[in-house]
Amino acid sequence: MRGIQLQLSQTQKVRLQKALEQLESLSSKVNSDASVTIADSIPVNHEDGVLKGHGTTDLNGEVVATLCGVVERVNKLVYVRSLRSRYKPEVGDIVIGRVVEVAQKRWRLDINYSQNAYLMLSAMNMPDGVQRRRTALDELNMRCIFEEMDVICAEVRGFQHDGLHLQARSQKYGKLSTGQLLTVPPYLVKRQKQHFHHLEQYGIDLIIGCNGFIWVGEHVEARDDMVEDQVNQTDPQVLIPNKDSVSFEEQEKNYTALETRKYICRAANAVRVLSSLGFIITLEIIKGVFELSLSSNLDIHDMLGSEFCVLVAEKEAERRSSNKKKR
Amino acid sequence: MVGLSLGEQHFIQGGIAQDLRCDGRKRLTYRPIYVETGIIPQANGSARVRIGATDVIASVKAELGKPSFMQPDKGKVLIHIDCSSTAEPAFEGRGGEELSSELSTALQRCLLGAKSGAGAGIDRSSLVVVEGKICWDLYIDGLVVSSDGNLLDALSAAIKAALSNTGIPSVKVTAGASSDEQPEVDISDEEFLQFDTSGVPVIVTLTKIGRHYIVDATPEEESQMNSAVSISINRKGHICGITKRGGAGLDPSVVLDMVSVAKYVSEQLMNKLDSEIASAEAEDGS
Repeated sequence: MRGIQLQLSQTQKVRLQKALEQLESLSSKVNSDASVTIADSIPVNHEDGVLKGHGTTDLNGEVVATLCGVVERVNKLVYVRSLRSRYKPEVGDIVIGRVVEVAQKRWRLDINYSQNAYLMLSAMNMPDGVQRRRTALDELNMRCIFEEMDVICAEVRGFQHDGLHLQARSQKYGKLSTGQLLTVPPYLVKRQKQHFHHLEQYGIDLIIGCNGFIWVGEHVEARDDMVEDQVNQTDPQVLIPNKDSVSFEEQEKNYTALETRKYICRAANAVRVLSSLGFIITLEIIKGVFELSLSSNLDIHDMLGSEFCVLVAEKEAERRSSNKKKR
Repeated sequence: MVGLSLGEQHFIQGGIAQDLRCDGRKRLTYRPIYVETGIIPQANGSARVRIGATDVIASVKAELGKPSFMQPDKGKVLIHIDCSSTAEPAFEGRGGEELSSELSTALQRCLLGAKSGAGAGIDRSSLVVVEGKICWDLYIDGLVVSSDGNLLDALSAAIKAALSNTGIPSVKVTAGASSDEQPEVDISDEEFLQFDTSGVPVIVTLTKIGRHYIVDATPEEESQMNSAVSISINRKGHICGITKRGGAGLDPSVVLDMVSVAKYVSEQLMNKLDSEIASAEAEDGS
């Protein structure tokens, strides 16, 4: 029960234990020797020669794991992919990051990797949608596009000589504004075909970043490029990002509608429950938890309580076992 | 320090205005509070309180000492709070000192009362063994293990739980010592006196964001605050201390309104806390 931070009553404890045991029994036995904990010896064929990689060490002629994780083998190399660690980027991953610094021709982003990632000004579509060379003026106007602390969605482009680079070459990438950012352990998010989700019936956007950052927010229509810009193209000038100095009344008008906000909070709490239980986070599972809470007529805040947690664990066990039977 | 983009800040403020915060709470709802008692065997009383990811430990250690010359009929109580660097990287080295001293001052103000110590949350005159000669010194230490907002409320709850967990050994004074000598004492290993915690207040922190105020703010919400008022209220509904943080000024009428809201909230908190402490004690005893 990996230190679940919950106060459970005796019956709830038993129910949770049972659900978790069921989940464990469902996981495939084929791969069970691939997962290791610290000090487990990893079987290797010494005649072929072994290259010890990350998370392994040599102990009395045996290769021993120094991390909890899954053993990976590439030719001679043996290494352990750890479970709880920072995010490890792969080319093409969709990630969510927060701007740390606006630097020369680039933004520096925190994406929960051991280094900061770079998003070059030239690696993104301009908000006006025109394809052109980036001028010095564009560089001066970088703060109008993204500022420090802004939350941005982008794609991993790859490693260049100076670090990890991202790109945002489509209108679906870019700044995320109204909503909340959640952080979950990155191993709970698997790479999928689709990471951008629009839940139409609720009017919310859900972006599941591969780095464990999850955005839940009000739905924004992806702007169609090339349309608006011709009209309001003004003379080039250095723009100053407008710090909002609107009055309270004006601000209140712009707040998210209460109905939408309820759905946003509900979806966010569904993600929180899943991450506290350590279940894989995908759209279907989030939706399942979301609808479970709606159908059991639960207050949004009560979703974080122990009773609902146990309920989710039981449902998940049920779902996985029925999936298994189908196959 | 948490950094938030303008959009997120706006979202949080909007949520508070609409009475639906980011985790689905209302403005005056607390996160679930978990209490464990008796977690440090060496201490006379200890407790751990968790609110969300905030995790604090309080311990009470009693030692025999000499009362101060000015107040021969009172024991001594020292409160010290430490912020562990595991809670936040910024607390490393001396980084946490500013916050620690702020928290300990606020708690001292709320629990110990004025110089004379009359009517304070912790009754110091009950700590005297022989007037002017021997008294108990209570060392109350708090440790912030993990910080997720609302530290002061969590610490006050932990101290309350630790004090109700505290057993002070009963002391027999060997008779026959003359008045100017230090009398000899015999500390019992078996008999303990339960500490009376009925007067110990709870602290309710109201954080003002925009035009509204909320209880139990998360760090994200705390980063948006104009000012925060911590009000400590005892079981009778009397106010034992008020501390204000944050630079923004408050209208006196707002303060009065906050006080009455805090009184209302404190009743629920007190009841919740008492039942949590009772169940924790039951679990600890078994």
